[in-house]
Amino acid sequence: MNAAQLLIKLAFLVDNSLRYQRIKRFFRNLLENDDYPYKKYFDYFMIFLILTSVVIIIEEVKTSIAKWLYYYDVYFVTGVFIIEYLLRLWVYNDVHKIIIAEYEESLFLERPFDLRRVLKDIAKKKLEYILSPLAIIDLLAILPSYRELRILRIFVLFRVFKLLRYSQNITHFFQVLASKKIELFTLLMLVAFTILVAGISIYVFEEHANPHINTLYDAFYWALVTISTVGYGDISPVTHEGRTITMIIILVGVGLISFATSIIVSAFSEKLNEIRENRILHTVKKLDDFYVICGFTNMAKLVAKRFKREGVDFLIIDSDPTVVQEALNMGYLAICEDATQKEAFRHINLDNTKAVMTLTNSDMHNIYICLNVRSFSKECFIISRAVDYTSHKKLKLAGANYIISPYTTAGFFAAKIIDEPIAIEAVNDILIARKNALCEQVEILKDSFLDGAQVGDIDFDRYKLILLGIVYKDELAPSEEFRYKFTFNPDEETPLKAGNILVVMGYTVSIAHFKSRVIESSLKHGKKKA
Amino acid sequence: MVRKKHRILLFGFGRYGEQIAKNLALDGHEIAIAATTKEELKVAANDGFENLYVVDIEDDAQLTDLVLDHSFTHIFCAFDDEEKNIYLTITFKALFRTIPVIAICESKETERKLRLAGADRVIDTMVAAANRLYYIVEKPAVAEAIDEILFKDKSILFEEIEVPKGSILDGVNIKDIAFSKKYKVILIGLVDRELGNKFVFVTRGINHKIDGGDVLVVVGKKHDIAEFKKLLGEES
Repeated sequence: MNAAQLLIKLAFLVDNSLRYQRIKRFFRNLLENDDYPYKKYFDYFMIFLILTSVVIIIEEVKTSIAKWLYYYDVYFVTGVFIIEYLLRLWVYNDVHKIIIAEYEESLFLERPFDLRRVLKDIAKKKLEYILSPLAIIDLLAILPSYRELRILRIFVLFRVFKLLRYSQNITHFFQVLASKKIELFTLLMLVAFTILVAGISIYVFEEHANPHINTLYDAFYWALVTISTVGYGDISPVTHEGRTITMIIILVGVGLISFATSIIVSAFSEKLNEIRENRILHTVKKLDDFYVICGFTNMAKLVAKRFKREGVDFLIIDSDPTVVQEALNMGYLAICEDATQKEAFRHINLDNTKAVMTLTNSDMHNIYICLNVRSFSKECFIISRAVDYTSHKKLKLAGANYIISPYTTAGFFAAKIIDEPIAIEAVNDILIARKNALCEQVEILKDSFLDGAQVGDIDFDRYKLILLGIVYKDELAPSEEFRYKFTFNPDEETPLKAGNILVVMGYTVSIAHFKSRVIESSLKHGKKKA
Repeated sequence: MVRKKHRILLFGFGRYGEQIAKNLALDGHEIAIAATTKEELKVAANDGFENLYVVDIEDDAQLTDLVLDHSFTHIFCAFDDEEKNIYLTITFKALFRTIPVIAICESKETERKLRLAGADRVIDTMVAAANRLYYIVEKPAVAEAIDEILFKDKSILFEEIEVPKGSILDGVNIKDIAFSKKYKVILIGLVDRELGNKFVFVTRGINHKIDGGDVLVVVGKKHDIAEFKKLLGEES
């Protein structure tokens, strides 16, 4: 009874300890969570240990090795392996939760706390881990360190197997094969049956006539070598009956091999898309501050092109596989999902995105996608394209923060192009940032030479820049649309304050130079004051 | 501000056609609208447009009559359906070589086809919107400035002005004039005929000599630009 009380007390202590949980979470992430940034380094470290220890053991087979290498392998590598094994056993499940669950159940049902059942449950759970294939490999990989038993050295193989744990590609390979379990099992049965029949027949016909076939084992060995089309020729049939059987099983063998090939190939071609998509989602998980573009339409293509040029990360989602393929061919990250469905955003952390853009050609789809995205994230910024003017309101209701319509801009451009082709070309150049004509925003930093100056004090000509205007930011504005206020071509006396944003036009180098001057002066004066 | 008025034949009154017609009307051009269905024209009539025609774009004789009867100066192909625009462009280029045809498209591929078909000007409608989208998310202050100058604030104009021969600017170096101080307009760039017909931004830093015939692209308040133009016109 005392032991039980102690156990319960301990379990609650552990359950309440934040520190314990933090440490356990850390190790769980390090060992099992592929998305944890530091797991990578742990994996590299383990791979290094495995490779060096394998090399040492192989070297040791023929020659004697330096003492320190021996110690390194026996104590350090093995030590790390043992610690890793124990840690994995530890993080596999939470023992204290089992105890607490049982304790609460016993309170609820008003029956005594059953210590034996708890211990049995705990043992069962831990045994479940110990008996899992990867855990067995881990355990066997520890064995080669015991040098006294030479036979144990064969377990060095398990150190090589251990590499599986740390390499995703190989794990994928096995997953793909596992998806064809039934077919592979059928094939195995078929091969076993053929070997059985062929082996027995050759044994019956040739055991007395052929000097190479003495036992049934020889016969089976011959059968496998023959049907696999390897055909060493160390054993070959000598009687007519034996040769007839050989001819038949060679034909069967060719069939079996093509069967095996087709199973594996089809497994891979079926899973290829899934694997690739997983890869992309894995890459996306590592990104932060990226854009999600729903619908790879003409407009989306142009946006993607611009993003690519400016070095901004983005992910494209489209439901049409051919369109997705096109995007992938252009070197963009793209996945084939229906963005109106819940599944599409399950693997994407929308809070990490800068904005979601719904750019499909249909208002209905855009509205669905907006609603879908909003159901996942209240915060994320949604920009939607509107086709019909009447959809603006609906899109707003569906949760879009900003609505853009290509028709209004197109109307403006089309009307002006007749009389002012050059001006429109200039606007286009600025918008697309062609011919190195850049429109940039430069925020006035505190204590920089701009802070407190007047527009007239700054010689924009010298910087080879044009000042188009000043944008005043109002953080308290009720909605996105009123946050910025623009003043065009301000007077010379207009004062400049920190936080205002200058909108300037010029070449990339001019702008970069100007910006660096602003930052420099801000730092310098900031320091002086301090 | 006096401007040349054009007689424009606009095909299509869909999502694009509607916007284009409104913008053209705003500039005071004379517009006739042609469409393939009565429904489209009904919308146009509701918006207050006159001169509406139902046409069959495959009937060359009808199209010829329409253009000859009204002596249009420009033809605008603004159907929402890109294929119709290509077809119409080819038809008009076959019928009338000289009347400029302006067409809209939504993709690079169609733009290429329209140019092959002989369109004088092609507008890819998605380019502007897509790039605006980039500014909205990455550089909101620039987006606001561009929006304000081009669309929202009707008193700010983006204009090109041809310098008349013998005007005050003829023979002057651009570095010697502070445009924004003296005329309250911002000079963005120009076509310097001496250096070819290409548009060059002033931020390039080259000190151009302005001659008669050069085209200046300026941004400014409506009345400042009008003043500037008047000044240019005076001595010519």
